[in-house]
Amino acid sequence: MEAAVSDNAGRKVASSSLSAELARRRAFICGLIAFLLVASLPLLPVNNYILAATVRALIFISLGQAWNVVAGIGGLLSLGHGVFLGLGCYTTGILFNKYGIPPWFGIWVGVVLSLLVALVMGAMTLRMRGVFFALATVAVSLAMVQISRHFVDLTGGADGLALKFFGNSWWAAQSRTPAPFLYASLIFVTAYYWITRWILNSRFGLEMQAVRDDEVAAAAAGVPVFRTKILGLLVSAAMTALAAGLYIQFYMAIDPEAAFGLSQAIQLQLPALIGGLGTAWGPIIGGAIMIFLSEITNWGGTKVGISGIDILVYGLMLLAVVLYAPKGIVGTVLRNAVKGGAR
Amino acid sequence: MDGVEAALLLSLQAIFSGILVGGVYGVLSIGLSLAFGVMRIVNFAHGELVMYGMYAGVIASKSFGIDPLFILPLSFLVMALIGSFQYQIVFRHFVGHATLQQLLAAIGCALVLQMIAQIIFGADTRTAGSMFSGKYVVFGSFFLSMPQIVAFVIAVVATILVEVLLRATTWGKSVRAVADDMETAELVGVNAPYINVGAFALSAGLAGLAGTVLVTYFPTYPSVGFSLMPIIIIATTIGGLGSIGGTFLGGICCGIIQQVTAMLWNSALQDVPLYVLLMLFIAFRPTGFFGLRSE
Repeated sequence: MEAAVSDNAGRKVASSSLSAELARRRAFICGLIAFLLVASLPLLPVNNYILAATVRALIFISLGQAWNVVAGIGGLLSLGHGVFLGLGCYTTGILFNKYGIPPWFGIWVGVVLSLLVALVMGAMTLRMRGVFFALATVAVSLAMVQISRHFVDLTGGADGLALKFFGNSWWAAQSRTPAPFLYASLIFVTAYYWITRWILNSRFGLEMQAVRDDEVAAAAAGVPVFRTKILGLLVSAAMTALAAGLYIQFYMAIDPEAAFGLSQAIQLQLPALIGGLGTAWGPIIGGAIMIFLSEITNWGGTKVGISGIDILVYGLMLLAVVLYAPKGIVGTVLRNAVKGGAR
Repeated sequence: MDGVEAALLLSLQAIFSGILVGGVYGVLSIGLSLAFGVMRIVNFAHGELVMYGMYAGVIASKSFGIDPLFILPLSFLVMALIGSFQYQIVFRHFVGHATLQQLLAAIGCALVLQMIAQIIFGADTRTAGSMFSGKYVVFGSFFLSMPQIVAFVIAVVATILVEVLLRATTWGKSVRAVADDMETAELVGVNAPYINVGAFALSAGLAGLAGTVLVTYFPTYPSVGFSLMPIIIIATTIGGLGSIGGTFLGGICCGIIQQVTAMLWNSALQDVPLYVLLMLFIAFRPTGFFGLRSE
């Protein structure tokens, strides 16, 4: 692979764009095969456990893709994306349980709320560089933990909120089997992949990357830095809140720690980090690996009677990626195989 | 009239206990502030180092019957050692810039340290008593808890010692030189990598010491670091990232606000005004009261 990389770099522009075209086509075919394989899972003789694990992976891929927009493309370390996940989940759940509003409509209220919170958060913190934005997002998510614990009537307090169950129902977007969620989450993953691709190649995405790489230079070249950052955060918040609708319908319950806690925020980041920040393929590969490893370690953990090994594995993965493969799997290992197509 | 007087007494009581609690928040936070000031490292695993300090106190009192207050130097040294390992393995690569990678690495450390603690010590809440446990000082119409007074005194002494160390010794002057400008410090012969390990060890040691003091009146559990981290971040930001004295005062501010909110409004929401304050500081004065220029 090393030889192939240097070989590619040495060629002339025309032929390298040809090989990029080839690689892009190869990546597209790989994606298509993966898509068809996952879509046909319910027809194959697999049990519900594997289907459910696949849905979990797809949900975290969608959430990771949303985080990827702000952190990978925009370079803003949000540790508080749990806020948007939680707002989406709680709004949908409360509107459904208390007022009988189906999640098809409720989730849009959650999206609007998330946009408002993101706007306030961004307006207050995004003029500062780097570390202060990260600290502020931590503060907001931990404040949300306390607030959601406090308003017991609305949120169910520390025990959390469980959706009323209606069996198989289109109206309530509920199902006894994971198969419908598999298709729904597959649609999410595909749509978010194309959105990320589109952002990466659009003027807006290029501006975000310019701000990420060098804020001063971007400003000098006429990029509206602050507006670009805010827009990136808003897009990412809306994507997270929308995927939260899927999350709550699948898990059927939410509690303050699962919504706003730091461990959850880290789970939202790992797919993009493992796979490769700022690439459209990264969260897909990273999310699959993350859920696969956490299922295996949880299974092993229950065998030896220790709980929470998956968190230890997450931490080790985070360290390993940051120290040894800062560009993630797509960025380092598979760079050549999916070159061009990975953008 | 009686109502007003009672409310006044209650607020004064809240302010007094806020100062006592806040002093310990201050000493919890100065390690983080020091690491940021010298190396621009935001150690999200600082709370986990505090947690190990707390477990050191639990082990001393439950397994060996020693008062946690007697093992303070030991827990300082052990945590300084662990901190220098952490620096050598992880943070050495990120000196100079608080980048996204550095914050993520720190979070990775935090998760690993937390789960190791859960595997060793179990997930349940543990407590440790000192010789002052359960004692109170009655002073006029105010009640002050003795362990908190002792912890406050230790916090003040530790902060003063760190300030003296940084201002009066050659080593401290080198640390401050590196904090000001690493390259220029190296030009005049300061061994910056060596200074950095030392500063990080001091930061981690302070976390351990603060944890062992804290456990005399505050229970510990594996994720206690994540519960303490917001307060540590807020105290550091209010006081100013990088300023030792400022951070200590920031801790006291946090303590007072928290206790007043808890007594006069609602103890379940005691931290919410602090989060609001943090957002305001980040928006309007990100360097805090005494901090370095914004990174």
